[in-house]
Amino acid sequence: MRNPLNKTYKREIRQDLGKYIALFLFLTLTIGFISGFLVAGGSMKTAYDESFEKYAVEDGHFTLAIQANDELTEKIEAEQVKVYPLYNKSFNLDNGDTVRIYKERKSVDRICLMDGKMPEKNGQIVIDRLYAENNGIEINDKMSIDGKSFEICGVVAFSDYSALFKNTTDMMFDANKFTVACVTDDDFDSLSDKKIKYTYAWRIDDRTLSEKEQIDKADKIKNILSETGLITDYIKTADNPAIQFTGDDIGKDSVMMTAMLYIIMAVLAFIFGVSTRNTIEKESGTIGTLRASGYTRAELWRHYMFMPILVTVIAAIVGNVMGYTFMKHVVVMMYYHSYSLPTYVTLWNMRAFILTTVIPGLIVWAVVFVVLFVSLKLSPLQFLRHELKPKKKNKVIKLKHFNFITRYRIRIIFQNLPAYFTLFAGVLFASVLLMFGMMMSPLLTNFRTEVLDSKIADYQYVLKAPVEVEYAGAEKYAVCALQTDTGEEITVYGIDSDSTYMKDKAVGIGSVLVTYGLSEKYGIESGDTLELFEKYEEKSYNLKVTGKYNYPAALAVFMSRDTFNRVFEKADGYFTGYFSDKKLTDIDEMYIATVITQSDLTVIADQLDDSMGLLFLLMCGFSVIMYIILIYLLAKQIIEKNINAISMIKILGYSDKEVASLYSKSTGVVMVISLIFCLPLCHAVIKLIYYAVMKKFNGWLTFYIAPWIYPVMFLTGFICYVAVYFLQMKKIRKIPMGEALKNVE
Amino acid sequence: MYLEINGLYKSFGKGENLTEVLKGITCGVDKGNICVLLGPSGSGKSTLLNIIGGIETADCGTVTINGDTVNHMSERELSLYRRKHLGYVFQSYNLIPNLTVKENIEVGAYLSDAPLPLDDILNTLGLWEHRNKIPNQLSGGQQQRTAIGRAIIKNPDILLCDEPTGALDYNTSKEILKLIEDVNRRFGSTVIIVTHNDAIKNMADRVIKLRDGMIRKDIVNEQKISATEIDW
Repeated sequence: MRNPLNKTYKREIRQDLGKYIALFLFLTLTIGFISGFLVAGGSMKTAYDESFEKYAVEDGHFTLAIQANDELTEKIEAEQVKVYPLYNKSFNLDNGDTVRIYKERKSVDRICLMDGKMPEKNGQIVIDRLYAENNGIEINDKMSIDGKSFEICGVVAFSDYSALFKNTTDMMFDANKFTVACVTDDDFDSLSDKKIKYTYAWRIDDRTLSEKEQIDKADKIKNILSETGLITDYIKTADNPAIQFTGDDIGKDSVMMTAMLYIIMAVLAFIFGVSTRNTIEKESGTIGTLRASGYTRAELWRHYMFMPILVTVIAAIVGNVMGYTFMKHVVVMMYYHSYSLPTYVTLWNMRAFILTTVIPGLIVWAVVFVVLFVSLKLSPLQFLRHELKPKKKNKVIKLKHFNFITRYRIRIIFQNLPAYFTLFAGVLFASVLLMFGMMMSPLLTNFRTEVLDSKIADYQYVLKAPVEVEYAGAEKYAVCALQTDTGEEITVYGIDSDSTYMKDKAVGIGSVLVTYGLSEKYGIESGDTLELFEKYEEKSYNLKVTGKYNYPAALAVFMSRDTFNRVFEKADGYFTGYFSDKKLTDIDEMYIATVITQSDLTVIADQLDDSMGLLFLLMCGFSVIMYIILIYLLAKQIIEKNINAISMIKILGYSDKEVASLYSKSTGVVMVISLIFCLPLCHAVIKLIYYAVMKKFNGWLTFYIAPWIYPVMFLTGFICYVAVYFLQMKKIRKIPMGEALKNVE
Repeated sequence: MYLEINGLYKSFGKGENLTEVLKGITCGVDKGNICVLLGPSGSGKSTLLNIIGGIETADCGTVTINGDTVNHMSERELSLYRRKHLGYVFQSYNLIPNLTVKENIEVGAYLSDAPLPLDDILNTLGLWEHRNKIPNQLSGGQQQRTAIGRAIIKNPDILLCDEPTGALDYNTSKEILKLIEDVNRRFGSTVIIVTHNDAIKNMADRVIKLRDGMIRKDIVNEQKISATEIDW
């Protein structure tokens, strides 16, 4: 005979449909989203990892001031590597964007065609798919480069530009204003050589070398190149963000998402735990009778375990199906919207299955198991007498200074402490998510504003060779790039002591100012010594810091030009560029290495906003759903636990509104207290996470939480509570007065 | 004797709060008898019933049912023992709220390898017409009948009833008592009823009166009458 207790499940679901739908939806959405994230991430990561061999991605590249001669190439290739020329020419488009053009690569860093076809004849060009998408460019559109018109015949993913970093030293890639492109060999040769870069990629012959052996080989190549004095750029693939950033980010995302899943699962498991405990309290008499009749503890344990596990398992199955279908597409869309990834194939992800199905099931199982183990340990008689808690000798907390209604509410709060503790934990977690989702856009806006407010000049010209200009408002400066011991690039400026461009603080001789970002990231204060290293040489500089300067656009050091020239052993009057408040027209383009304008300074904020905007929005939406479900489930349980008391006070003459004011408003009070306490806690947690994350990135974005976020967060939580309050009112109205009389024992 | 109780002691609390509930109870009940445990509140009758049912343990003394000593059983053995041999009816019905009458009785049937025919029980208890109702659609008497059905369907050797009419009105109480009597006659179960209603003793084969944890009277009722005839 099948256990007749099994027949209760179907009816229990019907009777408690709201609770099960809420739990099921929340679980399914969470598991679905995370499963989609892991499946898409896993498939993408595999495609990305395989692209190294599939598209013969370089092991590193270097750029020389002139073409490499055969002797140099042979010397490098003697290290059992193959050297491939990857000459490229960068041009500014009419809209100010930059396009870097290559010939088609056949042997190294091959290109993945995403749509259309590769250039077959002159006048055809393929550009990066993501840049095309971001700028609404389609196949067959025209593009004018260096006065020549090209027809876009396809969109592609360059295997060495999965993240579109214009320079390998940039803090962030820029898929909005920078693209790589490929044309026929003839077209490449016909474009102006003024902007040509003699870049060479190398690839190690032996593909089985260990990471250390590869690094040793790269170091040997660097030494060979250093001897030539021609090197202008050098990077091994392991350090190249254009190649590595994507892989690191996909991996990092999955760790974050999995951690998020487990926190949510723990909160949900506690809801199951509180709910199971309440059910046991409610059905105590029945449990006692069943145990007295001969039902074993194990049978009852299985009975009460069934629903939480069933809901979790079904949600996990549906969530996984969603993960492999709809959710995967959402995540893939997010990845494709951030990175120039090659095509991928959806792969079965055993790890995702374990992380999103087996472990959540185990978390719920473990929490409910503990609750049941503790609850069902009691004797049948204790259940029959409803003695589920040990008789405490604690004194009743005196609340004589409060009026009756307040005392009643406080007693309800004390009676439901576990449920309210779960509510607080859930509110805290949802608030952290909400704050993170809400803070990033204002943070980036604030960063943009700060960068623009503190910019040194409208135009920063970086020259290849010193040239004089006529415009009297232009001011000479010197700049060089050094690095910290961790390899992070630090820009060192030498500025005139009487600079008209450097705001707020003059840079006197001997003074060394670090930007606030540099100070925060590396904990450098006035009086400290900052050690910086040459990039390609084993030379270091110790700079005694004398103050700080507000320049959020970069991690930088400011000193007077005289000091700069002395420290770096340059001739008096040495300079590398101009600050100018207007465009300088009398510098020949061949002498300009780069021009830094406003949009270059804010590129990181623009790119982050663009690629992460959807995720921020999703986080906000998810947090609001979490608020509502949590409050709904826990408030519902508190009312169910007190049905008899509610029924009784209704008999005494309390109106539904008064009952709600006692029971639902107690939840409201806890909600308000939770929200108030959560705000500073969230601030602290977010700050901790933010600093930890930023320390791993190149550069620094000033930590900023817009003040309006705090009241908006509070209001969001409170509005969610009000919405649930009205649902609870409906439930309270439905509780019959006879309930109390029926259940009197 | 089918049920033998020897020198049973039970106390609750410690030190100054120690209360001796049972002080050396020795008695017995023959198989197939109806035994009524009478006594005022606090006399120890429910505690005695619970020790017989294995849901309470005695401080000392033994309870032997058909040769098996209940006191020496482990928790698991006790569960199995209750499952096989005992049926329980309480003052509060403790039915499963989202199961129908029929299904609530099946909860008892599940515990037995050879349960009594369900339809038969439903008819005997007068619940046939209500078999598809859930507990909150029933009167108190109907709910108690369902609880009795749940207890007797597994054909227990002993039916333990703790104040089975405590929450019922006069007429319904008499109906329930009649039902218990019918069950005893039809299925040969030994029935032990705990009550403080003195009139119920008239339907018993044996009456044990308790006061302050001790047996004040243990009598065989020679003038047993039917449950329908008793009055109070």
